[in-house]
Amino acid sequence: MNNNLSLLIPSILDDYVATVELPWRRKESALDSETIFRYGAFAGSVIRVYPSLVRAMDTVRDYIRTCEKSGRSVANGSLIVASTLSLSKGRFSRTWHAPPGGLWGCLLVADTFLPQFRNFLPLIPGIACCEALHQEGASMAAIRWVNDVLLEGKKQAGFLIEGFCSPVYKENYHLLGFGLNINNESFPPELRGIAVSLSQVLNRPIELSSFALSFLAKLRYYLGLLLYEEEQWLARGAGDEYLDDHPIIQRWKELSDTLGKRVQFGYNVMENPQYQAIASDLAVDGGLILKHDDGASSVEHSGEIRYCEEY
Amino acid sequence: MSDEIDFDEILGKYHSDPYEYVDIYASHTGKIHFLVKEGDDVDAVSGEWKHIPGTALFEITREKNPKKVTATTNGVVSVLCAEFEGKFVEAGEKLMTIRHPLKKKEIIEFILKEVLYIFPAPERAKYFFSPDVQSRVDKKGAREVSVKPGDEIIIMSLMKRDTPVYYSGEQGVIHSVYFKPGVSVDRGAPLIGVCPSDKLPIIQKIINKVKAEWDQND
Repeated sequence: MNNNLSLLIPSILDDYVATVELPWRRKESALDSETIFRYGAFAGSVIRVYPSLVRAMDTVRDYIRTCEKSGRSVANGSLIVASTLSLSKGRFSRTWHAPPGGLWGCLLVADTFLPQFRNFLPLIPGIACCEALHQEGASMAAIRWVNDVLLEGKKQAGFLIEGFCSPVYKENYHLLGFGLNINNESFPPELRGIAVSLSQVLNRPIELSSFALSFLAKLRYYLGLLLYEEEQWLARGAGDEYLDDHPIIQRWKELSDTLGKRVQFGYNVMENPQYQAIASDLAVDGGLILKHDDGASSVEHSGEIRYCEEY
Repeated sequence: MSDEIDFDEILGKYHSDPYEYVDIYASHTGKIHFLVKEGDDVDAVSGEWKHIPGTALFEITREKNPKKVTATTNGVVSVLCAEFEGKFVEAGEKLMTIRHPLKKKEIIEFILKEVLYIFPAPERAKYFFSPDVQSRVDKKGAREVSVKPGDEIIIMSLMKRDTPVYYSGEQGVIHSVYFKPGVSVDRGAPLIGVCPSDKLPIIQKIINKVKAEWDQND
């Protein structure tokens, strides 16, 4: 099993995009893939690989502070990955186990998005991960709203996005934290039964660097697509609200198994489940449309769900 | 905030006209078809999870895509711009006014909003205090927690994206908290009301005065 992340350097990622991902996109999509990749090329333009970190998000914050205090601006799309994280956590400080074999890190994305498009950002890592899993052979991979990735009903990957305002130049950044269970096969007792790794499902070891390149190339594509669609929308005359069927929403629907399911909703669904309803559709802005038992519908833009069959 | 508050003027205003007038505008361009008429009663959003929509007010159609707009507050349609029926309007065009009867609690909130510094929600999202502020609120209560411009006081949570919100406004203590963890707040709606700590007694005096006056006149 090769868990070496040393191949993760920007020039190799550029080559991978040019020789693997771009030809595949050209074949699969009618969109202008070359332009989209150009717009997304900032992602992974700087990559720093560490054997071990405490938390990747904290390292990125320190990195921004250090750069700015020395009079430099941090590069948009800087990526930090580590073989292990010692104190990683998910939302609401939930346990996230990050031993060797997984893909753990944080991507720094400058907040240059139009307000109407920011909601689509959290959908991107789930789509990128799910596509990479499908290409690796895990065709059962599916997204649970907003961006959890499940394999055989268990969580394989989780993402969280935190905002950060830089201390000197007051730039706003999105810190996109990611944790993907790839070759790590042992989980602490509290995660057994609800977490799974790709190698467990496919019953074979995974080339970690190759998978990481595939995942990052797809992140590049969808971040580029977000900017590309902004430009197209502005060219179409824009408006106050974006009411079109965004290609990111379309792709999310193709890869998710959420719609049609009965779900338990809650802001922190594990500690405070609020109500059950049917996830009937995704709103144009990415909110989840929930159909209640009394026939009424509501749209949730914040919070999380669990499938009722999990209860 | 002035030390001198004309209670009689403020209370007189609400006694003579105890209503809020809520103007309803077109959210985007489109063709309008009204679903209510002047004088109709309208209901606000309801249900345990605020999931039952209010009375449908009008339908706005853009590019063959009709959207029903519903009332978010209860009251009576006091003004209807009927000339727009069947017409194409621009975003921001005023379409009607709903006269909403104010309760005592709402009147107190309205008066407080006139005298406190109100810090609004930057986007429609769910909000919670940042861990540091929350621990101070838990220990001492919000009115013992002081904030100053630049403080990271609140976290905005939207689509699993958590963004710190930095306070910009008068330095002071948190007098009123208008959000509940896990409940969505509309863009521009108040999150917290802040006042200088030495003005707290005046604020309390306003609340007591309104309560006493209103009970007396009810």
